[in-house]
Amino acid sequence: MQIVLKDFTKSFDGLTVIDKLNLTINDGEMLALLGPSGCGKSTTLLAISGILRVNGGQILFGDKDVSNLPSQKRNVGVVFQNYALYPHMTAFENIAFPLQVRKTGAAEIEERVREMARLTHIEPYLDRRPGQLSGGQQQRVALARALVRRPDVLLLDEPLANLDAKLRLEMRSEIRRIQLETGITAILVTHDQVEAMSMADRIAIMDHGRIQQIAAPEDMYHRPSNTFVAGFLGNPPIVFLEGKAIGNGAFESASGMRMPLPERLTGLAADQPIVMGVRPEHFGVKGRHTVRGTVSFIEPQGRETHFDLTVAEGEVLRSIQAARTDISLGSEVEWPLDVDKALVFDSEGNRL
Amino acid sequence: MTDTASSSGGIRPDALVRPADPASDLEKAALKGRPKVSLLGLGMLSPAAVLLLVFFFAPVVLTTIFSFTNMTSATGISGGAYVLSPNLLRELERSGVDSDTLAALGTESVVVDQESIAAARAAGVEEDFLEEIEDDLLGVDFDSKQDFERALKDLPSHLRRTRDLKLAADHFLVSALNTRFATRAEASDAISALAPDIAPGTRDRILDASYTGWVWTTENFRRLATQPETLRLVLNTFFYVAVTLAFNVLVGLFLAITVFYLPKGTGMVFSVLWLLPRITPVVLYAIMWKWFTWDGGFVASFADLVGLPSFNYMKGSVPTAWTIVILVNGCIGASFGMILFSGALRSIPMQQLWASEVDGASRWQQVRYIILPQMRWPILFVTCYQSMSLLSSYEQIWLTTNGGPGNTTMVWALESFRTALSNYTGNLQYGQGAAMALVLVIVGLVLSIIFLRMFRFGELVEKPKIEF
Repeated sequence: MQIVLKDFTKSFDGLTVIDKLNLTINDGEMLALLGPSGCGKSTTLLAISGILRVNGGQILFGDKDVSNLPSQKRNVGVVFQNYALYPHMTAFENIAFPLQVRKTGAAEIEERVREMARLTHIEPYLDRRPGQLSGGQQQRVALARALVRRPDVLLLDEPLANLDAKLRLEMRSEIRRIQLETGITAILVTHDQVEAMSMADRIAIMDHGRIQQIAAPEDMYHRPSNTFVAGFLGNPPIVFLEGKAIGNGAFESASGMRMPLPERLTGLAADQPIVMGVRPEHFGVKGRHTVRGTVSFIEPQGRETHFDLTVAEGEVLRSIQAARTDISLGSEVEWPLDVDKALVFDSEGNRL
Repeated sequence: MTDTASSSGGIRPDALVRPADPASDLEKAALKGRPKVSLLGLGMLSPAAVLLLVFFFAPVVLTTIFSFTNMTSATGISGGAYVLSPNLLRELERSGVDSDTLAALGTESVVVDQESIAAARAAGVEEDFLEEIEDDLLGVDFDSKQDFERALKDLPSHLRRTRDLKLAADHFLVSALNTRFATRAEASDAISALAPDIAPGTRDRILDASYTGWVWTTENFRRLATQPETLRLVLNTFFYVAVTLAFNVLVGLFLAITVFYLPKGTGMVFSVLWLLPRITPVVLYAIMWKWFTWDGGFVASFADLVGLPSFNYMKGSVPTAWTIVILVNGCIGASFGMILFSGALRSIPMQQLWASEVDGASRWQQVRYIILPQMRWPILFVTCYQSMSLLSSYEQIWLTTNGGPGNTTMVWALESFRTALSNYTGNLQYGQGAAMALVLVIVGLVLSIIFLRMFRFGELVEKPKIEF
């Protein structure tokens, strides 16, 4: 079901945290709301679920305006960060609860709980209480409970934050598999860019209550609309060099380092202040420009190695390369820079 | 055979001995360390141990001791003397002691000697009169008090008023009655002198009865077990505890849940209002209830207004008296329950309540299926704690109905207190009261053991297995 937020506004005690937000989630897609803590992503999710009331604007489920419906009448499924399982009920009773409060018949409850248990692979644990389940199993129970009454939309509030690294990887693909199998419209709230990029069809990146950009993950990574988005995606993050265009398709950084501008932007007027963004994977491997500098930090990661190269006072470029041990700290190197892949932003931070 | 067994089994005598060495080393080390730790531990514990001993253990021990005595304020708590009082003789006669013997014990004789004259002088009888008595009547025997009084009237300076004369004559009367004999032997001699033919069994019986100090006895418990009022007290106490407890828990829960769902400010005002019974000094609180239910007080006036019978609702009828007693205690207990339940409610993670709302649960279903099951532990706690404290509490009843009308709202603890410490007739029956208190202590102990077993406290206070 298509979910539409029209001019959605939310304030707490007179302080507006989200002002006129517009967002459309297409039927059957998984959209990630990505942003740092306090950006309003969880508030948006809770408003969609009906737990928080809206102060302005509309929330539409399909054609139906649900803005003023209580959460009981919205038909949404929510998975909370701490799962919010009922500790005094078994896994079966937890999953059955949404049906039970609707006075569904016992036979149908049994059938649908079993169906959900099959889908989420928790059949052997149905008679256990949450306290006797592992984090991953609790997560699956919470998913099953959210899905059992076939909600219009599945809302996932930081669903992986409480899991250890290995389980997180496993649940990432599990949640995606279940979403694709059920074909349900889903919204994933997360602060973890990897989660958002690996699970979602589209990402809406938020900051200070505003959506900065909505795009498919690949698209967003390669064509960020502004410095915030560029800086938020990518690990290790992008490096920004402030400076200005000096004509003839060249750029000069604040410290005086010069480099060519990407092919597509050679027409920039001289003296226009700009910001160059260089991702680590575009430095140190290939490119038509070379940069000299001193290796000031090395971080081996097994398959690859991360380097920091100090090129001038206060200007550091980051490089990520296939694992190599021939470079030592403090050595002078000259590495290629793929300037055509570099991102260029105007002084307002918008990409050129 | 033995060799193979020992070698294959690997149990060789030296193998059994060898491990003992490092173990004993460990033990030595442990012993070396232990006194330090235990001294410090004892030091830290001693204040608590002393307090426990003085304020918890000693009262129970003393209660137990007193409960096996017949101590009253008449016997005192130190030893007594042997006194034959007219009342005692009447009682003995009623219980079947030969009346001739008793009459013999009750006889009076007139003795006029220096000693009795001195006693009369000390009491302020006129000197002239006494001198005449000394001169004329010293050593004379009289058959009866009447003869002696007649002889006194014949003296020249006798007292004009008959009453004064009789009072003066009293100083010369000698009787075993109302004489305090310090020892049993003295009392025994006196009895034998007055009634030489007395059977030893009867004499011992009279001696036992005449002792004014306290003695060891199980009479208190026998009386409790046989008197019909006991059953009445037990039923009253049970009714009072059960109904008040139900009021405490249900109203406390209702208030806590209501406050939980109210907006913060309103909820705060509401809960502070409900705390008033708990924070008002108990005497003031009880007096306010008295005013409230007075004849012509708020309740009576209101009843009059709506056409109901108007009377003192606290003391006027049994059902209203019980209602008031339960409300007075119930409101205090309900505010206690409210605080406890509110705390427990707040510890339920908000997300769980959100989840239940999203799952479609109405408010009532949320309370019924999510909140109440998780309130099990605080409800059990309040039930246990309040049933104990209600069982032993009497101050509110004492200050309001005081067990009335009649003894209809009398409970065990109040009766025990009244018997031992606040008797209307003035004779405080420490022993009987202590016996009643001891019963209460035992009931409390048994109840707490049952509660501990039934609710598996150990399991309930275990660390939670889920982290929130």
